[in-house]
Amino acid sequence: MSNINIMQERNIQKISAGQKAVRVLSKTGTYIFLLIMALIVLFPFYWMIISSLKTLAEYRQAVPTFWPRQVMFGNYVEAFTTAKLGDLFMNTLYVGIVSTLLSLVITVLSAFAFARLEFKGKETLFGALLATMMIPGELFTITNYITINQLNWMHTFTALIVPFLVSVFYIYLLRQNFMQIPNELYLAAKVDGTSDLKYLWKVMIPLALPTLISITILKMMGAWNSYIWPKLVANDDAHQMITNGLRNAFTDTSGQANYPVQMAAVAIVSAPLFLVFLCLRKYIMSGVSRGGIKG
Amino acid sequence: MRKRLVAILTMLVMLVGMFSMSGCSQTENVPNAFIVPEAGFNPNEEVTITFTHTMGAKLQDVLNTYIEEFNKIYPNIKITHQSAGGWSDINGQINTEIAGGTQPNIAYCYPDHVAMYNIAKSVVVLDNLIASDFVISGTNETLGLTDAQKKDFIASYYNEGLAYGDNLMYTMPLSKSTEVLYYDKTFFAEHNLSVPTTWDELWDTCEKILKIDPTCYPLGYDAEDNWFITLCEQMESGYTSAENGGQYLFDNAKNKAFVKELREYYQKGYFTTQELYGSYTSNLFVETTDTRCYMCVGSSGGASYQMSNNDTADGSFAFEVGVAPIPQYNKNNKKVISQGPSLCILKGKDTTDQQVMASWLFVKFLCTNVDFQAEFSMASGYMPVLKSVTENEAYAAWLEKGNGYEYLVAKCVQVGIDGRDNYFVSPAFNGSSTARTQVGALLLKCLSGEIPSGGSVDTLINQAFQDAMDECEY
Amino acid sequence: MVDNKQQWKAWLYLSPAIVLLLVFTVWPIFNTLRMAFMEGYGNMAAIGGATFEFGVDNFLKVIEYKKFLQCLQNTAILCVATVPISTILALLIAVALNSIKPLQKTLQTIFFLPYVTNSIAIGMVFAAMFNIVGLKQGAGVADTWGIINNVIQFFGGEPINWINAGSSYVANMVVMIIYIVWNALPFKILILLGGLQSINKQYYDAAKVDGTRRGRVLTKITIPLLSPMLAYVIITGFIGGFKEYSSIIGIFGEIMGPADDAGRLNTMVGFVYDALERDRQGRASAAALILFAIILVVTLINNKVIKKRVHY
Repeated sequence: MSNINIMQERNIQKISAGQKAVRVLSKTGTYIFLLIMALIVLFPFYWMIISSLKTLAEYRQAVPTFWPRQVMFGNYVEAFTTAKLGDLFMNTLYVGIVSTLLSLVITVLSAFAFARLEFKGKETLFGALLATMMIPGELFTITNYITINQLNWMHTFTALIVPFLVSVFYIYLLRQNFMQIPNELYLAAKVDGTSDLKYLWKVMIPLALPTLISITILKMMGAWNSYIWPKLVANDDAHQMITNGLRNAFTDTSGQANYPVQMAAVAIVSAPLFLVFLCLRKYIMSGVSRGGIKG
Repeated sequence: MRKRLVAILTMLVMLVGMFSMSGCSQTENVPNAFIVPEAGFNPNEEVTITFTHTMGAKLQDVLNTYIEEFNKIYPNIKITHQSAGGWSDINGQINTEIAGGTQPNIAYCYPDHVAMYNIAKSVVVLDNLIASDFVISGTNETLGLTDAQKKDFIASYYNEGLAYGDNLMYTMPLSKSTEVLYYDKTFFAEHNLSVPTTWDELWDTCEKILKIDPTCYPLGYDAEDNWFITLCEQMESGYTSAENGGQYLFDNAKNKAFVKELREYYQKGYFTTQELYGSYTSNLFVETTDTRCYMCVGSSGGASYQMSNNDTADGSFAFEVGVAPIPQYNKNNKKVISQGPSLCILKGKDTTDQQVMASWLFVKFLCTNVDFQAEFSMASGYMPVLKSVTENEAYAAWLEKGNGYEYLVAKCVQVGIDGRDNYFVSPAFNGSSTARTQVGALLLKCLSGEIPSGGSVDTLINQAFQDAMDECEY
Repeated sequence: MVDNKQQWKAWLYLSPAIVLLLVFTVWPIFNTLRMAFMEGYGNMAAIGGATFEFGVDNFLKVIEYKKFLQCLQNTAILCVATVPISTILALLIAVALNSIKPLQKTLQTIFFLPYVTNSIAIGMVFAAMFNIVGLKQGAGVADTWGIINNVIQFFGGEPINWINAGSSYVANMVVMIIYIVWNALPFKILILLGGLQSINKQYYDAAKVDGTRRGRVLTKITIPLLSPMLAYVIITGFIGGFKEYSSIIGIFGEIMGPADDAGRLNTMVGFVYDALERDRQGRASAAALILFAIILVVTLINNKVIKKRVHY
């Protein structure tokens, strides 16, 4: 009897050892895959940093160097002193925060309507919204410029914020996310007499938090990277955005940029953004494990 | 009695004649010609003008200093300026602003840009302003240009403003660059080579250099489009014309012949270009190991890129760089391309005459002020547009410092000034920038393209020219 | 379910979005339409006082363009190739990231870094990776072959002319596809990761108890539950893919092709840009509308296919 028991135990151990081997192997595979992809994705970032440390002559070389021969920390000093980074940063931060907040409100309300409410012409309207994404936005520039001019919004933060508050892209994204949340929750809340907004605030928003954080990040990035539009409507000192300030500060007569210094400036202003991400990351990754969809 | 009558009549006729002359001496029958009002410029009325450029921080500092100087003469003119980023940005930005009626009063421009603004009839024709002899009260300046001022301009730079096919003046030159031939003077001296002045001499030199260093490219030419256009101009074979809204003339036998010749030289390894090489040819030129090139045609504004990387600690070069004019086809018809920013004055329906005149005064100030021209040239490495700048003490001292960057720029400026009678600008019209892109691509295709099976080199060349024409005329 | 109160509420919630869209999107689209049907319309010319007749000439001009089909083909190839590749890769990365414990934070951070990388840097890296410098015609020697060719040579292969003068169309396209996929990855990873987090962990716990294999968990649980986000990524990927333009400028510059064949890789939006640059808003608008029609059809088909498979 005891022999059989021991045999069985051994068998079990064998199986679990086999399973373990498979698990270790697949884990290793996962890590190798992730590390390779990480390296590939990381390469441009690395390039940005080493470029910011090169001399202009080295930067222009035919055969690029993978490590600056002469490390030019001076580029960072020049970037700091040439461009009014402080002002640019505050302007961009202001536009970024205000437009993100307003945009989130509009996006949440619209996505809620599309995901949860029933109304006539819903499908048609949603289809029409999607269709607006299909026309190259460059064609809109001149018309919008004239509109802004007629509204007397030239050289104001309003002109930088309002035209881009609605993004069909984000409404669509959030609608998809809201639709993942079981309808039963909403109906139950209705029976309890909970108001829409309260339900939205207490249930849907916490559940969709990762998506909302993603939208926040993308929207902030938008403020950081916007270039053509701000240049047209508010390129004065009081409203200048960061990319505009950087692009303009380091060009010569022929309009060619001193790229290493520009890269240094970009690296400097990217740092706060990166910190913001580090803080928000845990919210993206927190998920619904504590959100409690019991279904 | 009759005599008196005749005398009176004659006087009347003369008076009317004089009157009509003074009244009509302004160009009027042009839709957007600016008519200088009889009251002229009012130095007591406050006026604000805007100026859009592509200057970096360093040049803006120079500009700010001279705005202060300008305001000492005209305290009533307030100037605000902003950078629109790079060259490719400023054109699109001003197009949009013209559409919204918010264009700046003064803009940095290239001829292609002006041709576009001109379609909207937004560019002020300067002829009447230049000719005006109105004396501004409180100063001893006339509104227009004096003869001395006109003569001080390097003529071919000044004439760039006339490149629009209607013989009217649209722009004033601010700062210029041209193409020059950089060569390795040390190498040339060592091997007893003379600097080529014609293309034939150049090819001979290339052959000799290849014998000395078989792995090198004797010549590097950075801008393919400039090369094509310059050759058209030197051979008088036809490139484009701004007349009748623009014509494309480059598809002709003479051009095909020179392109075919260039292909042969390329196949022999005599030269390379930026696109064919895959990087700036100036990189080859400054190289002292590996593959080299011993002659390099590039912009005089890019002198800093033509200095050896391997500069020794004491400031001397790994080799001495010589600067010479580019080779010519016909010594009786010397032609060199001229590039670099000019200034144009824009107007919309809300622009006042006072603003236009204030803008003109500032443009005139920047283009004719010797100190500004000198300082701007020192800060940018571009060439001044006035002959007298070389006599400016600070500038002369700067040129004579004789080391590194200044040394090369000084040489470029000297070559530039020596060749001042030979400059040309290609005609500008809506489509002239397309022509430029297309001839650059066409040249590359003809140089390196594979001969189609069953065809000859001519098939390839004919096809390339045809394609380029199709694109231009589409 | 359609009751009046809900109707009223829905429109109220949608009103801020609709008002803004009317002003800043619908009105410009209306203008685009107007310009498309005015023969030879140009903005500058209009300001200069020119008048234009109503007609379909702009559309004819677009279709007549010698390289119109080429533009269309390039657009289609880029779209069809890049969307599936980038979606699958992003999905694998997101799932992998979600399944590990050690290093998870570090790796997530790394996958975010492209966001704070300047776009100029991204373009430059590619140029440096694929660019061959100083290739001597016929001699088979070059000053530098670029990293990618170095890798190929390391494994004993022949270097390939990817983007320089004399390169083949296929090589050009491969580079473009890699570049576009690379560019699209970070965004898709972010979205899918967010989506994964919204999936109830209980499903996985149940699978674990049942001892379900990982491949099966992926196809039977993860993908169906993630399908709304996948649908989103695919549809917006197609829409973006049809508007591809700046990535080609990033690699090949303004001439949209290798040095000896300008315009070989031009796309529909590239055509729109070229027309805008020559003050031909009419033609640009017509091309944009043709493109719009194409995207619309593809999106409708996409929707039909996806709707059957999306699990809400």
